[in-house]
Amino acid sequence: MSLIVGLPALLALLLIGLWAAAALDTAIGRLIVGRPVGMAATDPLRAVVADYLRQRTDTEAPDHLNWLLAPGYYFLLAVVGLALVPFAPDQSLIALDTSVVLWGAAEAVVVVAVFLHGWSPNAPFPLIGAYRYVAIGLPVMLLSMFVLIAASIPAQSLDLRAVVESQRGLWNVIRQPLGLPLFLAVVMSLTLRGPFDYADSADLAGGTSAEDGGPRWIAWQTARAAMLVAACAIAATAFLGGYLGPVLPGWLWLSLKTLAVMVAVVLLTHLVPRMPVARMLTLIWIVLLPIAFLDLLIAGLGAL
Amino acid sequence: MGMSWARAFAASGPPPVFAAIGAGGLQRAEELHGTLRLQRSPRQAAILLVLGEIAPDLLPFLQRLHDHLPHPRATIWHRATPPGDWTDPVQATADGLERTLTDLWRSILSGDRASEPDFLPDKPPNEWRGVGPHGQGGKGMMGGTPYGRPMAMTDDDLRDGLSLDAYSAPFGPFLPMLPPGLILDLTLQGDVIQSATATRPPCPQPGSDDRPGDAIARLMRVMDMPALALRRTRDGLPPAMGIAMLRRAIPDGLGRARDGTDVRDRLDRWRDKDAPQADDGTRLSDLLPGLEWHEAMIVLNSFQPDRIRAICARSGPEGGDEDDKDGNRDAPAHAPPDHGGHQHHDMTGPAA
Repeated sequence: MSLIVGLPALLALLLIGLWAAAALDTAIGRLIVGRPVGMAATDPLRAVVADYLRQRTDTEAPDHLNWLLAPGYYFLLAVVGLALVPFAPDQSLIALDTSVVLWGAAEAVVVVAVFLHGWSPNAPFPLIGAYRYVAIGLPVMLLSMFVLIAASIPAQSLDLRAVVESQRGLWNVIRQPLGLPLFLAVVMSLTLRGPFDYADSADLAGGTSAEDGGPRWIAWQTARAAMLVAACAIAATAFLGGYLGPVLPGWLWLSLKTLAVMVAVVLLTHLVPRMPVARMLTLIWIVLLPIAFLDLLIAGLGAL
Repeated sequence: MGMSWARAFAASGPPPVFAAIGAGGLQRAEELHGTLRLQRSPRQAAILLVLGEIAPDLLPFLQRLHDHLPHPRATIWHRATPPGDWTDPVQATADGLERTLTDLWRSILSGDRASEPDFLPDKPPNEWRGVGPHGQGGKGMMGGTPYGRPMAMTDDDLRDGLSLDAYSAPFGPFLPMLPPGLILDLTLQGDVIQSATATRPPCPQPGSDDRPGDAIARLMRVMDMPALALRRTRDGLPPAMGIAMLRRAIPDGLGRARDGTDVRDRLDRWRDKDAPQADDGTRLSDLLPGLEWHEAMIVLNSFQPDRIRAICARSGPEGGDEDDKDGNRDAPAHAPPDHGGHQHHDMTGPAA
């Protein structure tokens, strides 16, 4: 797959994904409130244009360079993730036989991008959000590692292309039923959402983005939505058979499955409360990580 | 109008609003959450909505908040009287609010109405008194008071003996997760609260105490369930499933007051629509020291407006000393002995 065709196609798909993410978030939020969905498809666009037209605010003595770059890092990591996703047999933009490892590395660097975003404004709430995110980020990355390794075991390969092919008989979501629910928690953490949003939460008036106004706000929210698209595409690939499916072309199957994961993540965002940090750390180390071991065990026994 | 298509498109959406709530504005704010696009930070708002009467001592804070909104911006006074020297104030009546908002949003985007200028000079509030080019202070990274703020210095730790830097700052009075009007003087280590005094109690909110649905909604919002917080079942409360999830996310024994109730108990009382509890002499020093930020916000939002006002009123800078003499800092006086809570939520006060 040549980059000249592939990269524009990927960015076009990402753009559609971004819009879908924003519209879904607005529409599902309104449905839960019990209000008419109305202009949920275009209201996010109006907000983006309005913010773009407004002043870019600064704080006292910020880290200008990193404040500017943090959304860029975050967005770039999302693009890397999306480029690893195969959209047809043996076709992905980055052809790498250790793509699961590269995605794991991208996940870890997300913690750095979010931290820099909270560090840069030189203000208390963003900084508290940044530190909290790092504290929760570590065990969440462990979760991700275990469930993705489990998903790779049937393929006997750390290549996402092989992981999809290994699901021709049976999808991983059935073979390893614990994997996808755990990975949804990882997706919510990577995209700063609902129960796993320790960086940009309401109790900190928006945390790392509390000081973002105008174009800064759009940049960060765009990167956040891009990461949602990428992480959901990875989830669809690792657990839902990626491009596999009858009749329709592979890329369409992949898009539909990605959208389905996105709906699940947005619903969880709105319906599940965020517990205090200490309680969440206990939940992850004492409950979720043992479940992830169990997932790995099921995958290993299945491979024997 | 002469608006470009981009400005016209942007103006056709709902305006981003930040609500500065004063006396008697809380109940109206709950109603408006359902219809307006209320933002969590003034940086993301174009219109400052002043909701309820602003006491004279809060005006300087309101002006500083006003200057945080990016241009173009405007202010609307709703159920509030603008001070005499406020230039060209826009006031909105109860049923005319939404119309006034959209008109104002359109006119500041098109430039028909000039953006409101800053009240305060855009420079540090205090003089530079640090040492060195980056305010690193006296020796190494320590000491100095750059721009009037003392550098954070290491201090004994309440929790794990890590002796992190302690950081003191005032928080409030218009933070959306705090009771409106409250100014908290906090000393933090990381996000763990070492000490808390209320330098100003919250504004009075008459009539808000008999609205348990609103109280549950505020708790839900702090724990990031903003959509469910707006939904009401026939009994006037958010959906029972949502309340059950909320209850499960709150640690047992968190925020125990002197009457022995914790956050979960108070949530249960709201759910069962029990009468508001009588004041029991609880102080902030009984509640907040040792808690992480998120827990502290949950605790502050677990009291009805009148009760948290009473708690804060006796937790001022003078009240704190008295408290020490009482010897009541360590544990709530009436806490049953068998409710220690989880180990990692052992929230006794500082060892005196």
